Amino acid sequence: MSQDSLYEQAADAYGSALDRLAGAYELDPEARRDLLQEIHLQLWRSFASFDQRCSLRTWVYRVAHNVATGHVIRQSRVRNRLVSIENIEAMAGSDHELAASQAHALERLSKLILRLKPLDRQIIVSYLEGMDASSIGEITGLSAANIAMKVHRIKNVLKRWFDEGGLHAK
Amino acid sequence: MPSEIPNNDLQKIWQKQPTEGFKMSAAELRLKAQKFEKRILWRNLREYVASAIVIAAFGSYISVFPSTLTRTGCVLIIAGTLFVVYTLHKRGAARTMPAGLEFRSCVEFHRQELQRQRDLLRGVWSWYLLPFVPGIIVFSLGRLREQAMKEPNASTHPGEMVTNFALGIVVPALLFVGVWWLNQWAASKLQRRIDDLDALEKES
Repeated sequence: MSQDSLYEQAADAYGSALDRLAGAYELDPEARRDLLQEIHLQLWRSFASFDQRCSLRTWVYRVAHNVATGHVIRQSRVRNRLVSIENIEAMAGSDHELAASQAHALERLSKLILRLKPLDRQIIVSYLEGMDASSIGEITGLSAANIAMKVHRIKNVLKRWFDEGGLHAK
Repeated sequence: MPSEIPNNDLQKIWQKQPTEGFKMSAAELRLKAQKFEKRILWRNLREYVASAIVIAAFGSYISVFPSTLTRTGCVLIIAGTLFVVYTLHKRGAARTMPAGLEFRSCVEFHRQELQRQRDLLRGVWSWYLLPFVPGIIVFSLGRLREQAMKEPNASTHPGEMVTNFALGIVVPALLFVGVWWLNQWAASKLQRRIDDLDALEKES
């Protein structure tokens, strides 16, 4: 399969997920669009060396997360303030703004994700995209057991952040 | 009354967020890739053009200045410039990250790149400044000797001698110290980025 057709296939299947992924790394709409463009460009370039040793999905997410991680690493003001999922767990309930709608819930979720370190961000985004531990492990390179433990923590954090914050689900 | 949003509902909320359906055409992608490659090409070309100017200038001096000492200085400066260009080409070029790396390999790649750049800047004295020192000293001594031979009474004008020496040796020396200091400052900034990167990975 050619580089162009692989890109076509990936963009059709994972275009929306890549859009969401860019949002998990960049809040500013203009910078987010630039990041998304960069992800698409690097994805297309990467297909020149895609050897099909992993699935298309794993490849797409790896390339996209790597571009986005590079974006975070270059931002000195951002990278110094990031925390791990373990630390954010302790901070649960510190942001008690009420979320009265799904839009609010999404905003709050995005804020939480943007505070996380890159690896934890990769895991939480993959979890939110509905992936299982072994798929997340393939993307990140961590063992499925390690991912399962992290996902368990993420679930706890999400539960505490959204329950203790007094969410009203609609 | 507050109610829970189950985790699977958060997954739904996340997946249902509005997206643009962004996609680039093959023509757009090629254009972007070409622009990126052109930018890299121009950056490299800038360094080579600056070196070519130095080489052309001191190459032409070989036929302009009569003394062997000055000419030797020109040759040494050209040799120094070629060494710097070679080192920049060999050690300074930015590497492209291999696609599809796992997280730790990706971070490791960024760290190695930063360390390589930091080491290059820290060692700027040995590969960027020192290669020019013999040439500058020999060239300046040659020029002083040429002037002394042209005006045998030059020793009676110590002010002029001091000025010539300052222009030939002290000014480049001050310039070198400035370049060295700027590079050390840039290296310390890179070190901070490496430390941040270590901290990013440590608790993940």
